[in-house]
Amino acid sequence: MEGKRIDGKLDSSSDDAISHLSIDIGGSLIKIVYFSTNSKCITNDEAPAISKERQEVPNGDLNHHILSGRLYFVKFETSKIEDCIKFLSFKKLQQCGAQCHHSHAVDKIKIKATGGGAFKFADLFRDKLGITLDKVEEMESLVAGANFLLKAVNNEAYTYIGGQKEYVQIDQNDLYPYLLVNIGSGVSMIKVDGDGKFQRVSGTSVGGGTFLGLGKLLTKCQSFDELLELSHQGNNRVVDMLVGDIYGGLDYSKIGLTSTAIASSFGKAISENKELEDYKPEDIARSLLRMISNNIGQIAYLNALRFGLKRIFLGGFFIRDHAYTMDTISVAVDFWSKGEAKAMFLRHEGFLGALGAFMNYKDGNAELVPPQLLEQQSPKSSSCIVDRIHNSTRVQENENGAIDCRLRVSSSFKIYDEVKRC
Amino acid sequence: MASTTTENHSNIGTDDINEETQQQIPEKDSIVEKGGEKDMAPLPGGSIHRSSSRPQLDVSGAAIQGNFEEKDPTILLPNQSDDISHLALDIGGSLIKLIYFSRHADWQVDDRRKRKVKERLGVSNGNRRSFPILGGRLHFVKFETSKINECLDFIHSKQLHCGGIDSPRWPSDASQSENAVIKATGGGAYKFADLFKERLGVSIEKEDEMNCLVAGANFLLKAIRHEAFTHMEGHKEFVQIDQIDLFPYLLVNIGSGVSMIKVDGDGKFQRVSGTNVGGGTYWGLGRLLTKCHSFDELLELSQRGDNRTIDMLVGDIYGGMDYSKIGLSASTIASSFGKTISENKELEDYKPEDISLSLLRMISYNIGQIAYLNALRFGLKRIFFGGFFIRGHAYTMDTISFAVQFWSKGEAQAMFLRHEGFLGALGAFMSYEKHGLDDLMVHQLVERFPMGAPYIGGNVHGPPLGDLNEKISWMEKFVRKGTEITAPVPMAPPATTGLGGFEVPSSKGVLRPDASKLNVGVLHLVPSLEVFPLLADPKTYWFTVLSEHLSDLVDKAVASEGGTDDAKRRGDAFARAFSAHLARLMEEPAAYGKLGLANLLELREECLREFHFFDAYRTIKQRENEASLAVLPDLLMELDSLTEDMRLLTLIEGVLAANIFDWGSRACVDLYHKGTIIEIYRMSRKKMQRPWRASERKNNIREVDDFDAFKERMLGSGDRKPQPHKRALLFVDNSGADIVLGMLPLARELLRRGTEVVLVANSLPALNDVTAMELPDIVAEAAKHCDILRGAAEAGGLLVDAMSNIQDGHKKDTPSVPLMVVENGCGSPCIDFRQVSSELAAAAKDADLVILEGMGRSLHTNYNAKFKCDALKLAMVKNQRLAAKLVEGNIYDCVCRYEPAS
Repeated sequence: MEGKRIDGKLDSSSDDAISHLSIDIGGSLIKIVYFSTNSKCITNDEAPAISKERQEVPNGDLNHHILSGRLYFVKFETSKIEDCIKFLSFKKLQQCGAQCHHSHAVDKIKIKATGGGAFKFADLFRDKLGITLDKVEEMESLVAGANFLLKAVNNEAYTYIGGQKEYVQIDQNDLYPYLLVNIGSGVSMIKVDGDGKFQRVSGTSVGGGTFLGLGKLLTKCQSFDELLELSHQGNNRVVDMLVGDIYGGLDYSKIGLTSTAIASSFGKAISENKELEDYKPEDIARSLLRMISNNIGQIAYLNALRFGLKRIFLGGFFIRDHAYTMDTISVAVDFWSKGEAKAMFLRHEGFLGALGAFMNYKDGNAELVPPQLLEQQSPKSSSCIVDRIHNSTRVQENENGAIDCRLRVSSSFKIYDEVKRC
Repeated sequence: MASTTTENHSNIGTDDINEETQQQIPEKDSIVEKGGEKDMAPLPGGSIHRSSSRPQLDVSGAAIQGNFEEKDPTILLPNQSDDISHLALDIGGSLIKLIYFSRHADWQVDDRRKRKVKERLGVSNGNRRSFPILGGRLHFVKFETSKINECLDFIHSKQLHCGGIDSPRWPSDASQSENAVIKATGGGAYKFADLFKERLGVSIEKEDEMNCLVAGANFLLKAIRHEAFTHMEGHKEFVQIDQIDLFPYLLVNIGSGVSMIKVDGDGKFQRVSGTNVGGGTYWGLGRLLTKCHSFDELLELSQRGDNRTIDMLVGDIYGGMDYSKIGLSASTIASSFGKTISENKELEDYKPEDISLSLLRMISYNIGQIAYLNALRFGLKRIFFGGFFIRGHAYTMDTISFAVQFWSKGEAQAMFLRHEGFLGALGAFMSYEKHGLDDLMVHQLVERFPMGAPYIGGNVHGPPLGDLNEKISWMEKFVRKGTEITAPVPMAPPATTGLGGFEVPSSKGVLRPDASKLNVGVLHLVPSLEVFPLLADPKTYWFTVLSEHLSDLVDKAVASEGGTDDAKRRGDAFARAFSAHLARLMEEPAAYGKLGLANLLELREECLREFHFFDAYRTIKQRENEASLAVLPDLLMELDSLTEDMRLLTLIEGVLAANIFDWGSRACVDLYHKGTIIEIYRMSRKKMQRPWRASERKNNIREVDDFDAFKERMLGSGDRKPQPHKRALLFVDNSGADIVLGMLPLARELLRRGTEVVLVANSLPALNDVTAMELPDIVAEAAKHCDILRGAAEAGGLLVDAMSNIQDGHKKDTPSVPLMVVENGCGSPCIDFRQVSSELAAAAKDADLVILEGMGRSLHTNYNAKFKCDALKLAMVKNQRLAAKLVEGNIYDCVCRYEPAS
């Protein structure tokens, strides 16, 4: 599935002019964010002005100019890093194939990278692509990415309760502190107090990797999405031991447990003389998903409680906008906090780290400018600089959540310009 | 209340009436107290289902017997004063935990004597505990919930629901079971209520699950020494729980699911959290992934696993590097099961061992983390983990501990309970008598050494849950396993047991506050809080001593049972079991808590009893008693011809010389082959040479001559005649010459001087130690030749039964001071005064002289104990090493230590 989407991407964006790119190489997935001044975006609704701005007017600062364009989000499985390499080299070839044939230029190309793979695969990137990975600390990236999204993108955060998605208006002055829960292969929980002010307060090894890992062993599913899909049709009651199973259908109301509350995940797989084959993969996937989501929700809540944080934002590629996952996490947080705390999800959940790494280009070279900020700087273009995440459906299907935005870059520096110069 | 007796008849069962009438005979107690004792007053908050048809349970003096981690651990209730049976259940999602009580076989033999003693001691004051001690034990059994029929069969086969098979039936037994009520907790109490009604005709009385867990945990934490321990990186350390500072704590019960309860006091608690990822998850997922058929099998697998093939580690993501900035090392698990994502491997390609370990780690760590977060939330420093998930499994505990330690940065501590699995069932069991729980005599609670212990934990696990028969008798199974004989061993009901308990004082911490409650009067002692230094020695020394002595002991034990094939088989099994205990202890000294030498000796006795050797030295003791009694008249004549001064010295010498007869001493056993008892005694007497060793200790400056100090106290100096002691407690040691030629003459001397004498002897046999049961006969026999003894024995109620035989007209005109016999509640060669029988505690009230005789009671234990009254410690050192260590002397040196009241 990943492949398909990516292939599509390759086609659709073959003429993208990639100017900046950052990468987040996690245990299971590689997330890439790149900025493109693709002309296609101009065709979209309200933005005729953008195309003009594209060649940007120096904006008060002699050395910088503003680029308008779009941020694209792509992901690969870490185990298929070759695909990623291919993708990058293809992009790069698009960019500099004509101008640059000098292979000795390699080490000069630097891209921002985060995640453990930035260390692990550094050599691979250098050897295969001639790219040096400029490592950005993982937590820092996550926080930077989340802060950017929460501040810059409208309707980025939403709650999911009882099947209802509801966007949350974030008051920027009242954003901090919050708890950021990034659910990747494992889970990190970070207390965020401001830009660059954060602390990793907790985490758990029971995360997306556990879901897929156990799920693969138990159901023979080959991918995360397949597993999620399965879970959709499952019934966890067949596998989980519910309070009612123990209490003969009754609630244990004294301690607030209804008969349908799960007393023990997979607890029913104990007593019956059934083998793995006798269970439906759907039911197993469902039970697994609930177990993990619920557990994350609970630990997140306990950590939020500990620091008095009312808001919990959940990101990471585990969620995937999957209704049941979000519902379970929301219910867990709601249950344990007795409604005090709220779980909120991010539309660009999976790309926090990559985005954060992208933000790291600021040291004199490039800076992603939050639209709001732009608004202030150039009021006249306010109408067209608004973030334009497309309606969720369209984003998901067509553009994988691309964000229109502007990039303030040093006029003397572009990644691929550098290549040009050599 | 007396006027309500008729009402009792009408609305409570005959059980109660029996009990009531029995109770009323000897007691002239206040009505108020009785009212309090009885179960009929409506208790505030008491359940309306409360069974009035059942007599109460006296849990005072309860003692744990057996192994909670395995099957059939039992608790002794020595003071249970009626032959009732109780049954309590905790029916969880995966396991049924069952506790039942069985009474001892008839222990009423010398009831009349006891009653007499009690009257004399003034303890018949309405205190139920003072009532004829019958005692019994609590058995712990577990079943899988899915096999509930096994459980029902078990209950039915033992007739537990209507009184128990090995207790005399109640007159109205049959009808009783109709209305019988069983206490039960856990969800199954609701789910299976109908099934119990249908199959057994009993009603289930539901007790709240959390309530029971908390009650059980509080009980264990207060009642059992060394109940809680920490377990870090394979190292187990017992935690001294200060009862005053016990609350609040977080109780984490890991059953199928996990409950986390903040406990603020008895009955004061709140379930603050929990998780559905618990034991059921481990077992359930484990079954699906590994095809294991039991929890234990799965756990066993995990021991050989390597989770690195399954889990995604930080190093896997970071290319072998630590992520040190956030404190994660390369070996930290980033994602449990994360490695099974990327490879093209099927379930079959992974080793079940690795999967089991990874699963175990994931769940344990997760529980530890959530527990810590909850502890943090309420500012709780202590977290106790219980429930059947843990099973004493080192890796599980290490993982939980690590999680708590890691997340709390060392602030909070994970502690485990040795009796983890039965918290709920124990709580339900105790709910039979809620009000009695408060004054539970926890100090009398003693743990027995579980026979299954060598085979669980560590490298060897107990066998997985097996068939019904295995559950019925672990012992039986052991015999089979140990000797590979398939013929069933005759299953006598467990008829004997220990009372009270023994532990060398632990090396640190405060003496439990309840200890002082017991040690009334002179027994307000200051136990030395040091582990007896002998055990600090190369620990193998005593293990070796005990091993070497083993074969001789087995011979004696087999002979005591007539040398039958069955006895030989049991002897063999005993040897194996005991050797296994020793081996386990060598490997893991803390396996059973903090063991001292006293515990080790106790363990041996328990072990013998477990294999139905109730008195291995019975025949030897009898023979020696007879031989000694034969020469007693001559000795008494000899003594009577001496001056007072000489007589006292000769008596003390006699005690020391006679103390040579000790089958617990290797050296002495060798001696026995060289001559008759009397020859040895004479020889030993001849060798007596003062000064004795106690006066020569170099690094501890004391009175130069303890005997002289004692003599001065007894006889005075010059014209000053001291007041005789009012009452002396003589803690006697061995049978034969020791008691007959040593202690009895000394007792006689005290009696002659107008001092009441209480002979304190073991409740249960231990080696050739004389027991309280045997003493009356010995005294009666001796009394035939001595007026002083006869008069005193009559006065002390010792001759009640024997009187008719010796009515030969020697009635004295003046009433004699009494000679009494009291059991100490022990079945070991040693004694811990913090845990003795209530009878002894009562007797101690008015005593102003304590005489401890023998190595076990005056050297191995209590050598440094200080008493509030005069104390004399007499022993012959029959072990070269001990002699060297303790008194810098040699084997057969004697200790005579006198310490006036402090």
